[in-house]
Amino acid sequence: MSFDADVVVVGGGLAGISAAITATREGLSVIVLERGDYSGSKNVAGGRMYIHALKDLVDISDAPLERKVEREIYEVYCGNGRKISFSYEDKNRVDSYTVLRAKFDQWFAKKAEEEGVLFSYSTLVSNARREKGGITLETNRGEVRAPLVIEADGVTAGISRYLGLRNLKPSMLMLGVKEVIGTAWDEGVARTIIGFEGLKGGGFVYSNRDTLSIGLTVKVDSLQGSEVKAQDIVEKFREMIGIEGPILEYSAHLIPYYGYANLPQLNAENLIVTGDAAGFLINDGFTIRGMDLAIESGKVAGKAAKLIKDENYADTSIYVKMLEESFVMRDMKKAWKSFSLLGEKRIFSDYPKVLCEVLGDMFLVNGERRTLREELMEKIKEENLNLTQMVLDLVRFIG
Amino acid sequence: MVDLIKRLSLNKYTVDKESHIQVNTQICKTCKDKPCVKVCPAGTYEPDEKDGLIVHYERCLECGAALVACPYGALKFRFPYGGISYRYG
Ligand SMILES: Cc1cc2nc3c(=O)[nH]c(=O)nc-3n(C[C@H](O)[C@H](O)[C@H](O)COP(=O)(O)OP(=O)(O)OC[C@H]3O[C@@H](n4cnc5c(N)ncnc54)[C@H](O)[C@@H]3O)c2cc1C
Ligand code: SF4
Repeated sequence: MSFDADVVVVGGGLAGISAAITATREGLSVIVLERGDYSGSKNVAGGRMYIHALKDLVDISDAPLERKVEREIYEVYCGNGRKISFSYEDKNRVDSYTVLRAKFDQWFAKKAEEEGVLFSYSTLVSNARREKGGITLETNRGEVRAPLVIEADGVTAGISRYLGLRNLKPSMLMLGVKEVIGTAWDEGVARTIIGFEGLKGGGFVYSNRDTLSIGLTVKVDSLQGSEVKAQDIVEKFREMIGIEGPILEYSAHLIPYYGYANLPQLNAENLIVTGDAAGFLINDGFTIRGMDLAIESGKVAGKAAKLIKDENYADTSIYVKMLEESFVMRDMKKAWKSFSLLGEKRIFSDYPKVLCEVLGDMFLVNGERRTLREELMEKIKEENLNLTQMVLDLVRFIG
Repeated sequence: MVDLIKRLSLNKYTVDKESHIQVNTQICKTCKDKPCVKVCPAGTYEPDEKDGLIVHYERCLECGAALVACPYGALKFRFPYGGISYRYG
């Protein structure tokens, strides 16, 4: 059986490019298949990138990073024009930057090409089958064969689906909808917003160099039965938070929402799975992270590929072992408790409402002053909430 | 609120000659709540009295939601060969 390369990477996004760079450095021959005309042409993120994993891999002095995030604003909307907000500022922070993927991924792919990685663009993998000690990929440009496939095709995980290893479920996915607005702010801001139309999810605003990225991430199963249509939510959201300016682009993309305990199959014979395709996403209510996990899991995959080639293409378990030792799995594990909580309706509608009512009454002066405790207990009763559950949730969330 | 079609018209598309989305409208004719219409951010699915459902595949943002949007197995989705090219992303 002749193979086209030691490793074929499916998907030229963050995970795929990182895997390809690393495997090339390990001395393997690598081909990347990307369905877009260029890397990034199909990709969407909020987005703020925590750059630790990227910095470790390539020189970022000429990276198209938009703005360094120096201010975090957290807002809870609770209906009837009421909201709670707080902000945190640190001018010395250098851990995260806003990015726009069409530009960023192209730059990153160019870095890979400079190191000798071969990309085949406009190449859509439409099926995969096992054949004689490897995997055969069917594409619009003919078949490609490899003894090892690194799956980096994002949240829809085509390769795993074609091989019968994955069934996508609405409960394990979020839909992200986004607009890029032609308004510039002069500082790096990340705004996190919760409490929108009772949907399970949250909103974001990130400031780029000359534009703003605004959008929502919402659980697909909460949309299926919702009053509002997904096509309208980002505009309603924009009006709610009062952002104005010309819309430059409207985009949408699924987001994996598995969580540590529900992660899909990460490897099989001749196959290792990275990034969104592997379900690596962390959302703990304050931060959403997928990009750094995609880059790191790609790096681990590139290193594992070398060991797999030297040993045995059928046994890919070393990849999972190496992942367990990386921050990818460590952080996924840590985030699991708060992650699982964010699937509950009470977090998005009931608690914010109670909080707002209590605070509202505390700030209101009408001659009927009561203690915070009295207020809280009464509102909890009114909303039919369970105090024990609330305390447990809080512990789980912080814990 | 800026209208959906206006927003989609800001995007750059290379529309395939053939639709990348197949729908079994026999099933749609019996489907009352039409969850696909709620879930799709591009308004690709339009309820229709006569045919059950019309698919505007040229609007597709390739988010992937179509793979799970229909609980009744009426939708078959693959990515298009051309399709959207994001300029910001
Ligand atoms: C609205 C939104 C906001 C987000 N905000 C943030 C944020 O602020 N911070 C953060 O860290 N993360 C964020 N994320 C998550 C982040 O975008 C993802 O985790 C990250 O893009 C995953 O990278 P990846 O390389 O695994 O997948 P992708 O970036 O999706 O790359 C997959 C690649 O594979 C290609 N491909 C797919 N199928 C095929 C096929 N069949 N044949 C050939 N090529 C194929 C695609 O074209 C694409 O280039 C957000 C996501 C969304 C949607
Ligand atoms: S595609 Fe599915 S959800 Fe949509 S109308 Fe048809 S049967 Fe209903």
